Amino acid sequence: MIGYYVRLALKSFRRTPGLTALMACAIACGIAACIVTLTVYHTLSGNPIWWKNGVLYAVTMDSWDPKSPYDPAQPGLAPDQLTYQDATYLFDSDIPRHKALLTLIGGALSGAPGQSIPAIAFTDATTAGFFHMFDVPFEYGGPWSAAADRGPDPVIVLSRNENDELFGGADSVGRSILWNDQRFRIVGVLDHWRPEPKFYSLSGGGTGDFGGTTDAFVPFRWDVTQRHWPAGTFGCWGSSPTNTYRELLGSECVWVTLWVELPTAGQRRRFLDFMNAYWAHQRANGRFQRPRNNHLWKVSQWLKMHHVVSDDSRLLLRLAFAFLAVCLINTVGILLAKFLRGAPVSGIRRALGASRRQLFEQHLVEVALLSLGGSSLGVALGALGLQGVHAMYAGSEAGYGAAAHFDVQGILWALALAALSTLVAGVYPAWRIGRVSPAAYLKSQ
Amino acid sequence: MRIDILPLLCALRRNPTGAVLVVLQIAITLAVLVNAAWIVNQRIAQIEQPTGLDTPDTFGMIVGAASSEFNVQQAEAEDLAYLRSLPGVAAAAMTGGIPLTSQGAMGATLWPRPGRGGEAEGTNFLNASGNLLQTLDVPLIAGRDFRPDEIRTPVPGKGAQPPAEIILTQALAQALFPGENALGRAVYTADSYPLTVVGITRNFMDAVGVSGGPLYHAALIPFAPGQRSYYALLVRAQPGRRDAVLRAARQHIGASHPDGVIASLETFSSAKRAFDADNRNMAVLLAVVTALLVIVCCLGIFGLATFNVGTRTRQIGIRRAVGARRRDVVTHFLVENAIILAAGTLLGSLLGLAVGDWLSARYGLPRLDLAYLVGGIAGLWVVGQLAAWQPARKAATVPPSVATRTV
Repeated sequence: MIGYYVRLALKSFRRTPGLTALMACAIACGIAACIVTLTVYHTLSGNPIWWKNGVLYAVTMDSWDPKSPYDPAQPGLAPDQLTYQDATYLFDSDIPRHKALLTLIGGALSGAPGQSIPAIAFTDATTAGFFHMFDVPFEYGGPWSAAADRGPDPVIVLSRNENDELFGGADSVGRSILWNDQRFRIVGVLDHWRPEPKFYSLSGGGTGDFGGTTDAFVPFRWDVTQRHWPAGTFGCWGSSPTNTYRELLGSECVWVTLWVELPTAGQRRRFLDFMNAYWAHQRANGRFQRPRNNHLWKVSQWLKMHHVVSDDSRLLLRLAFAFLAVCLINTVGILLAKFLRGAPVSGIRRALGASRRQLFEQHLVEVALLSLGGSSLGVALGALGLQGVHAMYAGSEAGYGAAAHFDVQGILWALALAALSTLVAGVYPAWRIGRVSPAAYLKSQ
Repeated sequence: MRIDILPLLCALRRNPTGAVLVVLQIAITLAVLVNAAWIVNQRIAQIEQPTGLDTPDTFGMIVGAASSEFNVQQAEAEDLAYLRSLPGVAAAAMTGGIPLTSQGAMGATLWPRPGRGGEAEGTNFLNASGNLLQTLDVPLIAGRDFRPDEIRTPVPGKGAQPPAEIILTQALAQALFPGENALGRAVYTADSYPLTVVGITRNFMDAVGVSGGPLYHAALIPFAPGQRSYYALLVRAQPGRRDAVLRAARQHIGASHPDGVIASLETFSSAKRAFDADNRNMAVLLAVVTALLVIVCCLGIFGLATFNVGTRTRQIGIRRAVGARRRDVVTHFLVENAIILAAGTLLGSLLGLAVGDWLSARYGLPRLDLAYLVGGIAGLWVVGQLAAWQPARKAATVPPSVATRTV
């Protein structure tokens, strides 16, 4: 019977081509608007490491000024980075399975073949655990070992872009390069890796949360050995001087991020106890004069806390749903009108023995076909729309352009939404026409 | 010409579903249209906020050390001398960051009284080592620029000498000392360190996005050159000469320091454009989606009118047969459409006001200006009646002979 219904539906479409086109276009527009805003929202607010959401934690302690909070707009929040002494002390704990210290420093790479002027490289000084924790993909080679962290060994990992620029994309593992005038050995080259948003380090350093990439990674101890001042965002309070590097290390300036991997609740509890014990000890020595605020942040909470997703995208999302609602109401109205116009024919069918259910099925098939056509058109329009969004955002400092890519999950979302919504819209008209009483239409007017 | 409302209402009552659906569409469309137009208007206002700087002619360049051999002081002096001698340059200065970007941006909190007394004000600040106000093209409203003896160089062995003076923008001065003259007063840092206000400038935008508080809060602090491993050069070119000057500067400075490298180069125009990008994109997206929404709504009105005409062909024929003119038929359908529009816009106004309230509560926007509501209703009426015009015209072509047919 389905085949018969499909033939009937197609005939019905051909009878009123204008109206059918109208409905399909209305559905398509609504779906397209929703796809664009949903994809943008989903990508912007998406957790780029969602599969490890319950496992990776950012560590914060409130070592800030007792007289005023770090962020006056959010007084209950500790600074998002730690002081050098706190970060390195907590890093030495062996409770977490993996752990990573992170800070952004400036560097210049030179000495690559054919390179005439040095290249500025934003460098993350981190530890080997970073690559394991964040599932960073490598094109060549791999991360350095934990022993290299201790050295620190002169080893460096380049980003894919940096490797393309300096070595033309070739396998540069094992070659040496000058980083800040010192000879380093390349142990790994990353594959494409631009987590959107760049959640692991919200320190701007001129690169921002979106679109900014690190060009190179070196073991954390090099920061101290070469006495680099932090190049990312860092904040200080207090009257103790910070003129020399030594003073910076002992100061209350926050410039180091600490991430730990704590898969079980037991480990989290133990680590929190460890933090609290350290806090109590330091407080007795005169530090940490603010109320205790030791916290472990999941990535999703971290993103939310730092308002990484703007209000704008939420607003657009709501607008898109309003738009879809209007499109669906439109479709319901037109379908109703169309079906009621064909009521006499349905009446004759009823008189010939079709049950209510069969009429309902017949019209539902018609709605389903319309939904299919409209949704396909909508998905195509949506892809076009996303290209437009990409063009609009490309080159902006926010770098949303790269963020709005059409991924498989987005497509499936969109198709499901399209199919479901138009089916829902078509149910009422189909049901109404099923209730037609045949007698009224068998009379001649 | 009589307009018979009663028959219209009867017809609507008998088959209300179609009309109700269109009323709903119109209501949602109006609510969205009014609020979207309001938000777009605000975003445009934000974009049009003046920077207070000479945006088309100025650019900034950050030069950093590529190796430990880099002699910052010498490089700075060389670069400034070169820039000031370059034809087409109106002014050049050295500072710590590029305004309108977050590069090298610094923020601080100031209090009007020691011991964190009074209302704290967040601000960005720029390091000034001479000629900065002229380069930024920011005039002084009161007071003076820093004197050379106030830009203290570090004393060997004792480290940097802290500054004792500060220049504020007018907005910041007003915020710290409302209604008073800030000149000569002292502002205090978090550690109650005093800075004497020696000058007040016209408002300008410094770093954006860095925690510094409201937009026009900015300050200048005297800072001798050579104290960091990088420096920012700001260059204001003569009108129309910016690109040529930029090219020459980039080439010369990029090549003249074997141990230094240009870390970034940004014009104020591109920085402002990037800064405006969010607002601009939001305005565009809102405008496009709202326009599509209005189109879809009109299609709905068109569809309903066409349907009504289609089902009432016989009635129209009868009316024509008993003497209605074409004009009356058209009027009949336009009036029916008007009733639906009236109901829709009434519901839409209530919905729109509710949404406007919710938006201003949730997102901190100012309250909806009623002029937008009136404008939205008027606009929707016009397009709504236009949408029903063609079906109404088509209805008028139904011949009276239809009344006599039985098929």
